Amino acid sequence: MRRLRGLLAIPLLLLSLTACVKDDPNAISRIGKGAACTRNSPPAAPPSSSSTTTSAEPVSAPNMRVGLAYDIGGRGDTSFNDLAAAGIDRAKAELGVTDVRELSAAAGESPSAQVARLRGMALEGFNPIVAVGFAYTDGIKQVSKEFPNVKFGLVDSVVEAPNVSSLIFAEEQGSFFAGVMAAYKSRSCHVGFIGGVDIPLIHKFEAGFVQGAKAVAPGIQIERKYLSPAGDTRGFNDPGKGNEATRGQIDAGADVIYHGAGASAKGIFDAAKAGGALGIGCDADQYQQPTLAGVKDIIIGSALKKVDVAVFDFIRAVALGKTADLPKVFDLRNDGVGYSASGGKINDMIPVLEAYKAQIVSGKLTVSQQPTR
Amino acid sequence: MSTPTEVNVLNKARRRPLFADTQPAPWVRGVSWAVLVITALAITSYVTELPQLTSSGTMQSAIRLALPIMLAGLGGLWAERAGVVNIGLEGMMILGTWGAAWAGYQWGPWAGVIAGAAFGALGGLLHALATVTFGVNHIVSGVAINLLGAGVTKYLSTLIFEPVSRNPRESPTVPKFDTYSSQPFGRWLGELEETQRFGISDVAGVLRGMITGLSPLTMLSILLVPLSFYLLWRTAFGLRLRSCGENPRAADSLGVQVNRYKYIAVIISGALAGLGGAALVVNPGQTGYLEGQTGGRGFIGLAAMIFGNWRPGGMLTGSLLFGYTDALQLRQGPSTVHALLYAALLVLVVLAIYEALRLRWMFAALCMGGAAVFLLLYALTDELPEQLTPYTPHLVTLVVLALSSQRLRPPAASGQNYRSDA
Repeated sequence: MRRLRGLLAIPLLLLSLTACVKDDPNAISRIGKGAACTRNSPPAAPPSSSSTTTSAEPVSAPNMRVGLAYDIGGRGDTSFNDLAAAGIDRAKAELGVTDVRELSAAAGESPSAQVARLRGMALEGFNPIVAVGFAYTDGIKQVSKEFPNVKFGLVDSVVEAPNVSSLIFAEEQGSFFAGVMAAYKSRSCHVGFIGGVDIPLIHKFEAGFVQGAKAVAPGIQIERKYLSPAGDTRGFNDPGKGNEATRGQIDAGADVIYHGAGASAKGIFDAAKAGGALGIGCDADQYQQPTLAGVKDIIIGSALKKVDVAVFDFIRAVALGKTADLPKVFDLRNDGVGYSASGGKINDMIPVLEAYKAQIVSGKLTVSQQPTR
Repeated sequence: MSTPTEVNVLNKARRRPLFADTQPAPWVRGVSWAVLVITALAITSYVTELPQLTSSGTMQSAIRLALPIMLAGLGGLWAERAGVVNIGLEGMMILGTWGAAWAGYQWGPWAGVIAGAAFGALGGLLHALATVTFGVNHIVSGVAINLLGAGVTKYLSTLIFEPVSRNPRESPTVPKFDTYSSQPFGRWLGELEETQRFGISDVAGVLRGMITGLSPLTMLSILLVPLSFYLLWRTAFGLRLRSCGENPRAADSLGVQVNRYKYIAVIISGALAGLGGAALVVNPGQTGYLEGQTGGRGFIGLAAMIFGNWRPGGMLTGSLLFGYTDALQLRQGPSTVHALLYAALLVLVVLAIYEALRLRWMFAALCMGGAAVFLLLYALTDELPEQLTPYTPHLVTLVVLALSSQRLRPPAASGQNYRSDA
């Protein structure tokens, strides 16, 4: 009997093997089965540019010793740590800073390791010290008390202390542009958002994206997914899961995907490319990133969060002794967030984006930080 | 051994259960379970109007997500069957991801697969050296290998990947496998699935998910499960290997070279974990090496193995369960996970009836109780809280382990060191 079953299995196996056909990656079907959106007419074009020229008094700080504590990933994450690194590089070039110490956080490290990193740099005499990422909030709270004479800059979080400058961004305003781009480029009036971790910081990306898309097309359908819940930061570092979630949204009908998922982005764009959808980058100009070169043909633009500007401005303000003059929030008004249209796929939309930008800058349009569901 | 007539006489004395109180053959049980689960899902997707529960896209996702877990679990199974606890699977998997990316980006995906397995096997060799030759505690050595795997790959990728990818945490783009489908069955099943008819479309969706969009590595890995079963349970080699995990002294006294078998098993274990790492790099949808990308999948593989009672079939079921629930929550989120409660309820009711027919009142009551809890949860909530859904696979495993832990039987000498007197 057992032998018989074994014999039966052989033709079955052969049959399935001979029937094995390579999938055609170009045979992408059923994208755009829905109808295109009915779109609102864009706001009137902005008045001719009234650019705010900042009085750039030359600053030189060759004796400044700058400490930089990166979030997980460190220099080279192609995302916001790299932007912070770009800010430091600009400080080296323009302010003549030479002594810079850069340290990275390890995945899954304890809060005490962050405190030790900050304290170590302060003890060695680094001043100012920039901490990149909300993970450093508690560490900065503690260490800023211990070293009242050291200036601290904290990216992405707020600590109320006289010697701490909180460098926070209006991500919702940058993401608004992503929503506008998506609504204009979607053929099925159905777009998607993938967040890395379900935390208020990433909710701002979702909120801006949703409002931008709805401002253009009130009837648009929006898929939303967070890869991991609050407290579990693996969602920022799991391209495999980003890939599956994106496939799910594309199968549900979405054809433009925006994300706020850090290093999971690569999997997200891969799935978008495989499914014939488009992608929008976040934080940096992701069209230009070398590690995303293989999928850049589907990246239509990026929502920018200019951490480099904030880090540079902070170091410059410390050199001038004017940290109180730093903006409370880096937003569209002070060019702390924005959009990029590299790749030339949305050149036709730039007047529209500029029109929305003018509305936000003038205060006619406010973008909420809370996503509506 | 009693004759059939004796059994009849004995049975007449008691009330006779409808089914004989013996376990059916394993393959009968496997098929019945599959039928039961698919039926429950079909009914659920009909009642809740969520065709995604049995769509081919979900099944493909489930297989892709289950694959690394399954390979790690298979690795754990090989080691534990020879008596070595391998908690270092995660570290071996990380070594595998690095090896696969390193060879893959230079010489293509098949080289990546081989290098991934080889790097994992190196981790296995180290574990064998520590635990078998030097008698280090298995857990201590495993934890050390997890740390070492993460550290060594970090160093190596800064050294070798950074000049190419300009990012110390990431490899350059690695060429991927193409995917293959069994045609014309795939197309034919796709048409059936599109019709959205109760039952037929569900079965078509599940089957189509299993025969379309597969990479060669996926097919190879799935074949490794029956192959492992055959080697371990149907050959003299497997019997000797398992005897080292059950009673090494007895095996030794019969001339089995215990240490050699343990070495072989742990090296194979590492190679399988490394293959799981390679699956995270060269399978379609993956993106190459990324620091920390394994994200605890090695440990989940170990859980899948325990879930499966240290048997290949059970381990496969466990990892598919993980992959399926993960696919559901990633693709559609809370609504489909909520619908799963309904499917679980149906399965439990059927189980309760089955156990009652066998007069096993205790189990029947337990199943009914579980069904009542699920019914309450299903009726009283509209959606599971989104904070909970990512942990669906973990919760399911916990529940199943809690219910079946009485019947689990690990290899008797697993985790113990053995020193030959000779």
